[in-house]
Amino acid sequence: MTAGTVSPQREGVDLNVRERAGRWSGKWARSAVVYGVVAATLAAIVGQWFKVSPPAAYGLCSACHGRDLTDWLLNHLEGKKLFVTAAGASWPILTVVGLVLGAFAASKRNGEFSSINLGGNARQFLYGGIVMCAALFVGGCPTRIIIRAGYGDVAGMFALVGVAGGVVGGALALRWKARR
Amino acid sequence: MIVSISSLVLGLIVGYLGQRSRMCSIGGLRDFVLVRDTGLLKGVGAMLVAAWVVFGALRVIAGTSAGHGLLAAGTTPSGLSAVAAILVGAVVLGFIATLSGACPLRQHVLAGQGRIGAWWFLGGFYVAAVVYTNWIEPHIGSWVL
Repeated sequence: MTAGTVSPQREGVDLNVRERAGRWSGKWARSAVVYGVVAATLAAIVGQWFKVSPPAAYGLCSACHGRDLTDWLLNHLEGKKLFVTAAGASWPILTVVGLVLGAFAASKRNGEFSSINLGGNARQFLYGGIVMCAALFVGGCPTRIIIRAGYGDVAGMFALVGVAGGVVGGALALRWKARR
Repeated sequence: MIVSISSLVLGLIVGYLGQRSRMCSIGGLRDFVLVRDTGLLKGVGAMLVAAWVVFGALRVIAGTSAGHGLLAAGTTPSGLSAVAAILVGAVVLGFIATLSGACPLRQHVLAGQGRIGAWWFLGGFYVAAVVYTNWIEPHIGSWVL
């Protein structure tokens, strides 16, 4: 124990245990490797045993699940006949809602929630549209492409190579723009 | 019913961990190219390896086989034009996602964290979902595989 942290003797042990437990779990939650392992494991298990399939390796995807949710809503509210995958046809897939709520809970709990406006909002709107079209064309957002490549999907492996090339190009473009 | 509950719980867990770890599936390579930081790239590698291991374990448990060894059956692109289409679409996806600052999943996390630009991104995202399935997909839907 360092000399700087002075705590009342009565609660010293209790505080120490709680602080250490919090630091331990926080350290694990902050690890990107833990995130990758947990996300891939849950995606595989949810796809296999909790009915989030017929498309294979469909457990976790932000683009496809968002498409399923919006099309399900339009089909049921407006009576349209838009395409929904077999997994999300009868009951809606709520992954994207859970993502936003989970991130909101995490940021509130750790005091990181803040409404920041960085500008360039019209550009972000345009980027969002292009990214959704490209993701639906390829068959998944980058996260699902990684999971599909792990599943053994040949098209997913080609898509992973393409995304890697696109990211390198985009990063070089960002650097070029910043240096100009 | 079970689809909604399981996907909501999955989203909550992944959203929570995604906010804590700042994980982004394209951010790993982008950080490596820009500043040689491999923290997020390790997460991407861990996700790829974990998906490979877990899907293999689930196949062993369920007693099914993937098809051709480790490759899944019925996922091979039909020809050179399909491969080229996938590669072009994926390059556009990676390029524009890098310019927008994060992959779509990370944009959901940033939206939950309160970033205004991420909400605008999601607005375009869901408008494009309806536009794509309503007008674009009927013409090109069967072209990729």
